[in-house]
Amino acid sequence: MSTLTDRYVWGVLRAVPETQRADLEPEIRALIADAVEARTAGGATEPDDAVERSVLTELGDPEALAARYTDRRLYLIGPRYYLAWKRFLLTILPIIVPLSVISVMGAKAIGGESSIGEIVGNGVWVGFMVTTQLAFWFTVAFVLIERQDLSLEDAGGWTPDRLPAVPVPGRPSIVELALSVAGLVFAAGFIVWQQVAAPIIIGGQSYPIFDPALWSFWLPWFLAVVALELVFTGVTYVAARWTWPFAVVNAVLALAFGVPAVWLITTGQLWNPAAADALKAAGFDGAIAPAGTIIAITIVVITAWDSVDGFVRAWRTSRSVSAGRA
Amino acid sequence: MDFDEILSGGQQELRRGTVVLACLLLLREPGYGYALLDRLRELGFVVDANTLYPLLRRLETQGMLASEWNTTEARPRKFYRISPDGERLAAELLADWTRLDASIRRLHQGDPR
Repeated sequence: MSTLTDRYVWGVLRAVPETQRADLEPEIRALIADAVEARTAGGATEPDDAVERSVLTELGDPEALAARYTDRRLYLIGPRYYLAWKRFLLTILPIIVPLSVISVMGAKAIGGESSIGEIVGNGVWVGFMVTTQLAFWFTVAFVLIERQDLSLEDAGGWTPDRLPAVPVPGRPSIVELALSVAGLVFAAGFIVWQQVAAPIIIGGQSYPIFDPALWSFWLPWFLAVVALELVFTGVTYVAARWTWPFAVVNAVLALAFGVPAVWLITTGQLWNPAAADALKAAGFDGAIAPAGTIIAITIVVITAWDSVDGFVRAWRTSRSVSAGRA
Repeated sequence: MDFDEILSGGQQELRRGTVVLACLLLLREPGYGYALLDRLRELGFVVDANTLYPLLRRLETQGMLASEWNTTEARPRKFYRISPDGERLAAELLADWTRLDASIRRLHQGDPR
């Protein structure tokens, strides 16, 4: 029958490399026996198994003892790499997660066969999966680095250059930057994609969504506005503060996109007439007008909000600057 | 946090590291694990069994201690003894200890040097 000591010794030995076991076993047995003997020699007032029990309790968790014998780390990521791990995660997650959520939701929306609920649900699910997967694999990588004693000086080392910039009121965060860039790239991509892929397929014939005649002026105009928006987003981010001229440029760009878009939709010029005829022939004509109305209202709301938001930011920045001077 | 907690935290910081030196000095006479633990506790060093035993083994692999199994008694025991390298280490650590002691005394007595 195995005693508590036998079980304790095995508890230590199984956690040390096989090569050290033969050496360590008699040592640990002797230590326990000595401790038990010393306690009973002073006039045994306790039964033997109670002494054994208290000796083993004092020695503590056998795995912890084994870890001390073998210099094994009892943590996943120690102080040496913890900050590098945290910085990596906090930099990567806010960029990757919104980008993947937006692209998946965008792809679903363009696919056209999903309801709003399905699209949102898909986005939430992808956001959750990307977050957990990234966090998990990054952590695994760092746990391995911690155990390999690899040098991570460039990533983990700290120099004064790594000091964070003091946040400036009105400066977009990296998340906002990623979101706007993703949104703009998506918009431009959609304009080109709907022409190239011609996603409306009726009776074996495929049609672009927008009237191809608009390539003579309006579609390139939208692409140009999107390109300017991208440049402007970069400029505001680098400038790190939102000024009144920025607010004006922001509003002009928003209106340059929103006003023609709404006008083209409400006057029915935006949609590809060939596709509309085919839809009508297929009995889907009832769907075009409501869809157009919803899109037009959305564009009006976004344009108005975007323009006003620019002025609010400029006002906040100017207020905090003057408060700083006072 | 009450004073006793702060005190024991400070003592722990102060005593960390003295156990190595104490072990080296004690093991000028050969000794085995449990006896060493007992002796250290008598002398007022606060040390846990599960810290001391791995420490002895580490000092042995580092060549600061030598060991041999004594089988003449009822039960075989591993006896540790300080090695020549261990003596060098002990001398250096002792010199450091003396310097620290002198510095602390000077600070305490208000000598500005």
